[in-house]
Amino acid sequence: MAIGLTPPASNNMALIELKDITKYYEMGNQVVKALDGIDVDIERNEYVAFIGSSGSGKSTMLNILGCLDRPTNGQYHLNGTNVESLNQNQLSEIRNLEIGFIFQSFNLLPRATALGNVMQPLIYRNIPLRQRKEMASEALARVNLGDRTDHLPNQLSGGQRQRVAIARALVTHPSILLADEPTGNLDSKTTVEIMQLFDDLHTEGHTVIMVTHEDEIASHCNRVIEMKDGKIFQDSTQATAQVH
Amino acid sequence: MLFSLLESCRSALISIYAHGLRSFLTTLGIVIGVASVIAVVSITQGLRVFVSQQFASLGTNSLTVRSYTPIEDRMQGISARLTPDDLNLIERRVDGIASITPILFANRASQIKYGSQTSFSQIMGTTYAYQDVAQFYTTQGRFLADSDNDTRRRIAVIGDKVRENLNLPDDPVNEFVELGGEWFKIVGLLETKGDIMGFSQDDIVLVPYATMQSLQGNQARTDIQIQLSLSETAEVDDVTTQLTTLLRNAHDLSGEDADDFVIETAEQMMDTFDSILGVVTIVIGGIVGISLLVGGIGIMNIMLVSVTERTREIGICKAIGARRHHILLQFLIESMFLSLLGGLIGLGLGFGMGMLIANNIPSFPPAAIPVWAALLAMGFSGFVGILFGILPAAKAANLDPIDALRYE
Repeated sequence: MAIGLTPPASNNMALIELKDITKYYEMGNQVVKALDGIDVDIERNEYVAFIGSSGSGKSTMLNILGCLDRPTNGQYHLNGTNVESLNQNQLSEIRNLEIGFIFQSFNLLPRATALGNVMQPLIYRNIPLRQRKEMASEALARVNLGDRTDHLPNQLSGGQRQRVAIARALVTHPSILLADEPTGNLDSKTTVEIMQLFDDLHTEGHTVIMVTHEDEIASHCNRVIEMKDGKIFQDSTQATAQVH
Repeated sequence: MLFSLLESCRSALISIYAHGLRSFLTTLGIVIGVASVIAVVSITQGLRVFVSQQFASLGTNSLTVRSYTPIEDRMQGISARLTPDDLNLIERRVDGIASITPILFANRASQIKYGSQTSFSQIMGTTYAYQDVAQFYTTQGRFLADSDNDTRRRIAVIGDKVRENLNLPDDPVNEFVELGGEWFKIVGLLETKGDIMGFSQDDIVLVPYATMQSLQGNQARTDIQIQLSLSETAEVDDVTTQLTTLLRNAHDLSGEDADDFVIETAEQMMDTFDSILGVVTIVIGGIVGISLLVGGIGIMNIMLVSVTERTREIGICKAIGARRHHILLQFLIESMFLSLLGGLIGLGLGFGMGMLIANNIPSFPPAAIPVWAALLAMGFSGFVGILFGILPAAKAANLDPIDALRYE
């Protein structure tokens, strides 16, 4: 396995191909259409924001993109793999290999150090401890936390925690970084820092997809997909508005 | 798979360590269960080792033949006997005997007097061969001789306990004691053999067989015991068969009649003792097994709580790629480790308890844990841990990642 934090090389297909994706939930005797016929292609190295009010289906979208959930109908190809036919274990494997999750509430393991948290996904790839440490240290250094490796999450500030989470997402060299309201729990100063980090990662060649309800955050992205009632309302590619 | 196993062990240990007190309380049931098993086993095994040593000192290749009367017959006044004729017969006809001696027990009160002291002891009439058969030798003076028997001399060889009880001097040889109204000269003092299960082996007085016979008078009703030791090449079973056939013939017993004698071997006595001890061990083991079961349920309970408490963590692990078996193994191994830890503490505690009990009861043998008991206790606690870990581990492994991530 190559050591380095660059994304994998591309092939002919779009990285993400969603065709007529629907997701229905049954609530009592009512059927809720969380997603209703979504068609989206996302290419490598795109910087995408899904926006929309709550209940627009963007969280469901994230769960499906992240292979945490399967669509009721439709086709989802991620990096050439047809995801909908996979069972739970295979989905776990896809999540481990292809996706780096970054959550609003950081979702770090409370009893593991920063280094331990970043090493965790590598355990599921059967990478030996010494190599795990090496890779995790490298990822932590990338997010400027090289000096905080032995701290527990509760000894870190919110911004630092989110950077640990980003390091954890980066360490597996995933095809996509999937961020769910990554700055939702952060103050404005830290938000700027974290968004700067995302911008840099995109510049380095990573594919970044985030879900947010803040226009300010979405303005960092090249492509903003607005969702409404489970449908795509607007899909606009904007001129790079990144603040460098 | 091995990799996952190692990683699960690592994270299980971390988790147990992180919740030190809770882990200990969780496994307390196992600790108590295993400690009680080990305490009981170590005491009974100590007892067993001790008793087998005692039996070995009786002479492992010796046989005792004595008459046996069933209770129904005894109530009708019939009693079986072994006679000096039987002894002669055995001496002449049975192969494989190294030494053989009759033993005639005193049929009156076995009172023995020295000066103003009186004591009650086992008084036996026997011959020179007794010392070889019973492996019981004198430390002072001499043993009974054949010439003593021929001339029915009034002499005695006494055990050390008798000397003590009667306040005889340290060297009692040439002192006179009164037995059944007759004066006997002490010619020898036996070596000390100690107790078997509280019965002193040193509380005996040996007099010549013929002397005892003459004291008892009524020759017709003499009932003796015959004790014999086997030659090196002889088999216990073979000699037993010879004796049985010979004595049945001599006593005119037909096919259906039961033997009117019994042949006891040291091995047999050991077996009897062993089987009693075995039953005791099994019964106590069963009771303690229940406590391990309760301990296991305790572990399951806490593991279920722990799964609920760590639902979000499980969700995180699943989101970043943990498969079903990763989660399953982690909780299963944690549960097994908890239980093994309890087993280990219980082992130490139980052995300590056994030693404490054994040391505080006077003349009780020291506690001993056989390796099989330690391994069994550990194996069983590991098994309990896995058994009662299955449910919580399966619950954790089957959690839906989205639900688990949302869990507050």
